[in-house]
Amino acid sequence: MSDTAAPTTAKDLRTGPGRLLVAVYGVFALAATARGTYQLATGFEEAPLAYLLSVFAGAVYLVAAVGLARAGRTSRRVALVSCTVEMVGVLVVGAASLFLPEVFPEDTVWSGFGSGYFFVPLVLPALGLWWILRIHRLDQG
Amino acid sequence: MVDWLTMTIQMVSLAMAGWCLVSTFRDRPMLVPHLVGMGILWLLVIGQAVATGITMAGGDRPAETAMFVSYLATVVLLPPACAVWGFMERTKWGPAVIAFACLILPVLFVRLEQLWNPVV
Repeated sequence: MSDTAAPTTAKDLRTGPGRLLVAVYGVFALAATARGTYQLATGFEEAPLAYLLSVFAGAVYLVAAVGLARAGRTSRRVALVSCTVEMVGVLVVGAASLFLPEVFPEDTVWSGFGSGYFFVPLVLPALGLWWILRIHRLDQG
Repeated sequence: MVDWLTMTIQMVSLAMAGWCLVSTFRDRPMLVPHLVGMGILWLLVIGQAVATGITMAGGDRPAETAMFVSYLATVVLLPPACAVWGFMERTKWGPAVIAFACLILPVLFVRLEQLWNPVV
């Protein structure tokens, strides 16, 4: 697929493929936050770390969605940082759930590298980072 | 929940997803017919939500009511939110947003049905 965005609009994170990224991030923000909040409210004692992590992941997705959806350099940096946090999060938690299953007895969005969500949590930050860096390069060049 | 309405919503949603994917690959932006399709889908979802709300008001509630209601609110809000977000984009990525939303919607309905009628 070729990118059809005009050079003037290509500098904006929220246009073109970014439009789809924001939508996916929005849905994931909602899913992770709602899941985490519900789990925290109903059974905090069972697995506090896993549930807090779900809420944290939801918050990061939300920040990333807003960062991607807003134009400007500051929001681009916000999106870059939050996507990096996600990438690190999904890799660390994915590895931890694999090798130290007792740390995360309950599933989170990032457990098993996001296997419960068709590995979307693993692909999403990679796509996000690619998109932000691409826009950044277009802006500089 | 009305079973046949859920089935219809899932079918219409998948059809919309297919249509929007075709538009994306043909490099077309979102047009008025897409919006009309999303409007019809949204009406079906609202119909299901209202019917379910009436059943719940009658005392027939799922075990995990809070979870169920939050899912129900999500499926009602998802089609219009994505329709607006996709329509703002005047490239092929507009229909791509709708296709994504229309692929998520049937999954959410599977989850809703599970919560409504848990298999023991």
